[in-house]
Amino acid sequence: MSIFSHIKYFMNVKLGARSYIMFNRWRNARRPLRWNTKYLAPPLKVDKITKELIALHYLDGHYVDGRKSVAWVTSGAPVEILQALGYYVIYPENHAAICGVKRKVVEIAGEAENAGYSLDICSYARTDIGAMLSGKSAVGTLPKPDLLLACTNICQTVLHWYRILSYHFNVPLIIIDTPFIYTEYSDADIEYVKNQIEDSIPVAENVCRRSLSFKKLQNVVKMSKDASELWLQIIQRGTHIPAPISAFDQFIQMAPIVEMRGKAATVNFYAALLREVDERIKNGVGAVVNERKRLLWDNLPIWHRLRYFAEYFGTMGISVVASTYTNAWGELAPLMDKDRPVESMAKTYIYPVLNRSAGSKLGTIKRMAEEFHINGVVLHSDRSCKPYSIGQIDQRNRLIHDDRMPALLLEADHNDTRSFSEEQTASRLDAFVEMLGI
Amino acid sequence: MSLQQLKIPKRKDVINEFKARGGKIAAVLPIHYPRALFRAFSILPIELWGPPKIDNSFSGSHLQAYVCSIVHNALSFLKIGGLDEVDFILVPHTCDSLQGLGSLLVDFVTTTKKVLTLYLPRDKGEPGYEFLGHEILRIYTILSQITGLHPDDALLFDAIHIEEQADKALAELYFKRKKLGLGNMDFYRLIRTREFLPAEHFIKLSQSVLSVSAAKSFNGLPVVLSGIIPEPMELLDELSRMGISVAADDLACCGRRLYQPGVSMNPFRRLSENLFSAAPDPTRGDSLESRIQYLKSLVYKSKAKGVIFYDVKFCEPELFDLPDLKKALKGQGIPSLTLEVDINDPISSQMLTRIETFLEVIR
Ligand code: SF4
Ligand code: SF4
Repeated sequence: MSIFSHIKYFMNVKLGARSYIMFNRWRNARRPLRWNTKYLAPPLKVDKITKELIALHYLDGHYVDGRKSVAWVTSGAPVEILQALGYYVIYPENHAAICGVKRKVVEIAGEAENAGYSLDICSYARTDIGAMLSGKSAVGTLPKPDLLLACTNICQTVLHWYRILSYHFNVPLIIIDTPFIYTEYSDADIEYVKNQIEDSIPVAENVCRRSLSFKKLQNVVKMSKDASELWLQIIQRGTHIPAPISAFDQFIQMAPIVEMRGKAATVNFYAALLREVDERIKNGVGAVVNERKRLLWDNLPIWHRLRYFAEYFGTMGISVVASTYTNAWGELAPLMDKDRPVESMAKTYIYPVLNRSAGSKLGTIKRMAEEFHINGVVLHSDRSCKPYSIGQIDQRNRLIHDDRMPALLLEADHNDTRSFSEEQTASRLDAFVEMLGI
Repeated sequence: MSLQQLKIPKRKDVINEFKARGGKIAAVLPIHYPRALFRAFSILPIELWGPPKIDNSFSGSHLQAYVCSIVHNALSFLKIGGLDEVDFILVPHTCDSLQGLGSLLVDFVTTTKKVLTLYLPRDKGEPGYEFLGHEILRIYTILSQITGLHPDDALLFDAIHIEEQADKALAELYFKRKKLGLGNMDFYRLIRTREFLPAEHFIKLSQSVLSVSAAKSFNGLPVVLSGIIPEPMELLDELSRMGISVAADDLACCGRRLYQPGVSMNPFRRLSENLFSAAPDPTRGDSLESRIQYLKSLVYKSKAKGVIFYDVKFCEPELFDLPDLKKALKGQGIPSLTLEVDINDPISSQMLTRIETFLEVIR
């Protein structure tokens, strides 16, 4: 690390950012709350910490040059190795989601579309490629990668997307390819993933010019596991009636588990969130003030309409208490093992819900529906995300016919506002709510 | 020479004849799979690229509208009884959409056919080869359980060798395509018989084509065709009519499957080597750089004046690479045209106008 970059980092991140955060807290405390507290519980207290953690993370990235190697990584990649090697890690999907929440996608993805990228490819990828081509972002600039890591456990889209990044940035791309689990995974599947993880280590070491310390790796895996276990507990608190935390809260609060796995700060953050959720339970506070019905959300959130959905359901006394998406980050926790880090990573990262069959996802939905005392399911048919969405028509039909569970298939796109019609959505939601008996 | 003289058998007749000899049939979805493995079990793989132009409304009760027409059609075809005579369905894991279809067939869609899946590794190193060997062995085990057959290495190698010969014949047809005197439609009708003819028949058919020297060669303005599949095939006649000759292709169903023979003496490893050996393909995770180099080399070798990207709507593997492929070609002064199709739609007059405009550019 050069002395200059060290001083720059210290001045801007350690001193500058802290003062900015203090100022922001002071300013926000004086702003009127843009939140409908008549129907919804006040925002979680940790909300501001989440925002600060994310802001600091991206700020860190502005001054990373000369201090750390930078890796761009897919959300479900075995990032622990890179964390243990001291990489600064960016998750383009998370960045794209932030752009979605801030309604910047049409502008940024538009840059990719103008360059010839089709509207029919995933809007996360279009947002990221647009950001790469134009430098536009919702969080300032993103540091350029020295290394790319893509894991196919969420989709093949990331394979195509990261090949493009690798070509443009001219940096190495590590692919961790995870066989899709139609029924069960085999020893050969695990061996294949394990071998690739092992092969990725020298590549990552070579880029950052450091050697991987086994002890550090164990420590990172342990912290990943601790944070995931806390996250799982937080999600499971949603089984309480009234549910203290909604899926919409979870969508926001999941950022650190995706983006900052393997860090002590992340473990502390989730411990604080769990305490707050428990406090809500103790005080009988529900995420929705007058909880009458409970829903489960399937697939990615619609980032650009989080408040719209939270308020629509809230005013009806409907709490969306669980989601298969946020659950995915918790259900893997038990599989991690610091004593066998690489093998356990192989077993963990082959197993996300997106890498399992449509029937297995229906099983997860049904199990969660029972556990969380669900009255209905909203399946967001996400135009951008084929792996999550194909199968939902049958899943909905099975829920309705086999389980007599009201289920709604809602066509939209997680990031692109152009694939969302508020009028159409409202009339479909109204009809669905009627089916729930409200 | 015209292909009428060669008597290309119909798929249905090939299936009936093979079944009459006691064989079984597997319907295979795109793109790569170990043909020889199936043949060692007396199973004839018949490929299912759609098929185009069928009533595809049946798949709408399982698949969203933003899934490509190849996947939609395959499912509709199954539901309207198009696969009644097949015994197995093999779904290679080519893309997210085929992954979805495989999953639907295993979990939700009622079918009496045995559904097999094949995960194609995207790792290019030793783990990828090893894994693919395991995958092929896994399918071997399932086929053994179902058929009661246990082909030994000698039998497997018999099937491997004949498929390798068929691959060689295919390569020769490509190599000598200019001298064959076939128009666009005839050449691709011939090439695409590899999708359903038993290897031994394909070799014979190729030999008879190769043995006849053409009275006159087909001389059009040469272009390279890139994409998944030349459907609807009338496109090829339209190109001929406009005076365009497809001089080379980077089509998933054709030129991207010019496999090289493997070297290993382990049959499963040999089949993996074979599947890994073909031209760069985004669905196998080949780099963009390798695709660019490959396309350029096709253009130079065939002296093509331009490239037509003929893509299936909603096909992410192709759509991601398009902008950089086009840009790299443009950088070399090679013009290109992009057309997107639903394989059920007829060739539109708008598309023809675009091709004609492109023709003006490259002429
Ligand atoms: S949204 Fe779906 S398709 Fe897009 S990157 Fe995520 S998992 Fe892949
Ligand atoms: S056309 Fe594209 S998306 Fe459709 S099956 Fe083929 S590779 Fe997959």
